[in-house]
Amino acid sequence: MQSGIMNTYQHPISNRAWIAWALSALLFVAYILLYFGPLPSLGLRFDLLQRLAEAMGHALGLPAFLHSKWILYGAVYTLAMIAGGALVLRRHGNSRYQRVRTLTVVSVQVLLAFMLPIVLQVFGRKEYYFSYFWPLKIEYFYPSVILEQPFLIIFWSFLGSLVAFPLLAYFLGKRFYCSWICGCGGLANTIGEPFRHLSSKSSRAWSIEKVSIHTVLFVALVTTAIVWINWAVGKQHPDFARFAFRVQDWYGFAIGAMFAGVLGVGLYPLMGTRVWCRFGCPMAALLGLIQKFGRFRITVKKDMCISCGNCSTYCEMGIDVRQYAMANESFTRASCVGCGMCAHVCPRGVLKLENKPVRWKAGQPIRVYAVDL
Amino acid sequence: MHYVILGNGIAGIEAALGLRARDADARISVVSAEHEHLFSRPALMYVFAGQTSLRDTEPHDRELYERMRFERRSGRVASVDVAGHALVFDEGSRLAYDKLLLAVGSKGRGAPWPGAAGEGLHYFVTLRELEALDRAAKNGMRAAVVGGGLIGVEVAEVLHDRGLHVTFVIREGWYFPAALDASESALVAEHMRGHGVLVRTGATVERVLRGDDGRIRALRLSGGDELAADLVVSSIGVEPNTAFLAGGEVALAESGAIETDDALRTSASDVWAAGDCANVTWVDGSRRPEQLWYTARDQGRVAARSMLGDDASYRRGTWYNSAKFFDLEWTTAGHVPATVGPDGTPVAPLPGYRSWFQRVPGRFESQRIVVKGNRVVGFNMLGSRWNHEPFLEWIHERRPLEWVLQHLGKAQFDEEFSPRFRVYERHGAVS
Repeated sequence: MQSGIMNTYQHPISNRAWIAWALSALLFVAYILLYFGPLPSLGLRFDLLQRLAEAMGHALGLPAFLHSKWILYGAVYTLAMIAGGALVLRRHGNSRYQRVRTLTVVSVQVLLAFMLPIVLQVFGRKEYYFSYFWPLKIEYFYPSVILEQPFLIIFWSFLGSLVAFPLLAYFLGKRFYCSWICGCGGLANTIGEPFRHLSSKSSRAWSIEKVSIHTVLFVALVTTAIVWINWAVGKQHPDFARFAFRVQDWYGFAIGAMFAGVLGVGLYPLMGTRVWCRFGCPMAALLGLIQKFGRFRITVKKDMCISCGNCSTYCEMGIDVRQYAMANESFTRASCVGCGMCAHVCPRGVLKLENKPVRWKAGQPIRVYAVDL
Repeated sequence: MHYVILGNGIAGIEAALGLRARDADARISVVSAEHEHLFSRPALMYVFAGQTSLRDTEPHDRELYERMRFERRSGRVASVDVAGHALVFDEGSRLAYDKLLLAVGSKGRGAPWPGAAGEGLHYFVTLRELEALDRAAKNGMRAAVVGGGLIGVEVAEVLHDRGLHVTFVIREGWYFPAALDASESALVAEHMRGHGVLVRTGATVERVLRGDDGRIRALRLSGGDELAADLVVSSIGVEPNTAFLAGGEVALAESGAIETDDALRTSASDVWAAGDCANVTWVDGSRRPEQLWYTARDQGRVAARSMLGDDASYRRGTWYNSAKFFDLEWTTAGHVPATVGPDGTPVAPLPGYRSWFQRVPGRFESQRIVVKGNRVVGFNMLGSRWNHEPFLEWIHERRPLEWVLQHLGKAQFDEEFSPRFRVYERHGAVS
């Protein structure tokens, strides 16, 4: 057994009981307040979370630039990842892969995504999240952002998005980002641990995912292009400029706020932790396409699977790993974020994450030997 | 053509799928009293543990039976009318067949101790038994798990996790002597005790003691000791689920297993058998059932081809298996002779055999390689993951021990960043 996940189905919060629905509703409300602040049409005329952040800032005697709901959000997010990371270490700490990965993703969040942006502001600079890259953080390729950042940050951003990430995804799989660095994946893999089994494994979900995630990638590319074209020629074409701003706004609202934030986290207790990563994230889509042609794969040990379903159950991306294990088929799926949980929970040690050239051929049943022993 | 498959397990469904793949028009009926869908029997333990749901253990989507036009018939079969080509159900109705596959699996071997029958005595093989134990096992109870095999250790683990005080009662001098030697077993026992389970070896159950209200209160062990218990799980092995065939025309071995030929045909015409209930010939020439998931699957496939009229034969390869004792994974391949017989007495080492063994310092991990003459014939690996396929290749290629030790790292299958295999004791460990 994997002692950490025993009783998963006995915990109401992990089992879509009423408390899970309540938590989901709470997350929806929190994210809507965060992104959309005052909602006069609903009778809420002030920015509740901003007021809360200011009150907390005064109470704690923090400097004024920290009296922001976004700082508060970052702090809560980071604390949730630290607490969730502790839970993951308690459950799966007997695996060195899970230990190293969890400590890395939590450290990246604390240092690069929380502390460093604050340090930048202490020195009077514009905040910047060093663990986020285009196209996930689409505005980091917008001319307006590029122009206001120093050269080194722009270099970091372009090096990551255009050079390092494609190479890393080719050699290591998209996991290097999606489950080792990214804050969205980091939240899923820490505080989201009690919900990872809730992802749908149906083939219908797989079909929807392929269409939706590549659509978002396409929209992200088009949006980036439109913003750039507007930067080049917008002054001469005011109609186009208005259109470009609308597209940019719409992307920020529909994809950035609604999909990644409200739905992505709000649905944790009901549909599992990777709704955004699986159905929407343009970065996951792009790295997934590279992964598909790269070296990363999950190697299947032949004729040892007992079809128990632990691998599929605990796949947060909804990959039906068991079908590959039963068919003796080593595989690479574009959506796999390489969290390693399928291999970890397999009671027969059938699965192994690898980036090396193939050593033992798979896909065939084991050879029947007749040797005198 | 009407094919009837008795048993909705992996052997039965693999056979049904094989039949449907080649015969689109045949009528195929699947008869079972247990569950509407195929589920993974070895995974029942994870359902009991709350680690998966029963639905999670079903390997196929739920539309499979409709898509494949498998007619399901729920019911308990009382006998097979071989001459009349029909199954006879316990309520008297009949189901006629043209060709029949018996894939009825195993059941827990009945507890032989006086006082055993009745409330509080549990088995763990079928879905009904899981449900009964699930209802009975309550936090704070004292549980005795009897029988030192693979089911026992998992039941003990889950009961312990549920907050029961578990004692693992093992007849032999150490845990799982069919596969582990004394030092390996000591490692597993130490690991189990570290998790809080009491392990009593060399203890035979003589009687189940019940109070005036009929509830279990203790086990009397050999030597007169009493082990207080509210609940007993008997996991002393499985036997073919063939009582309904006794005295009929389908020939059974003494063990109750259905005798089959190489094509998995039984002694009765138009009747085949596959899976846990079928007696097959092993590499060493002995005739026993193979109680494994993947051999049941293979047998189901061979049975289907045989029923379709192919010249199919079932051939068993070199033995391999894996399991998990709490957190300790175990992989075995080839010939690893038992050092204790089924009755608990030590077996003299086979002439010409020796073992290379090391326990990895500071970890619950060991490797044992069995050598015959100068060729490696078996592997027994505890506490880390190994790919059995290179093991089988090396055995087949008759590699010497030194060569295998040099190349062993290539067969390591642990998660990334796990400690790499190395030889801690190159000399002096061979016995």
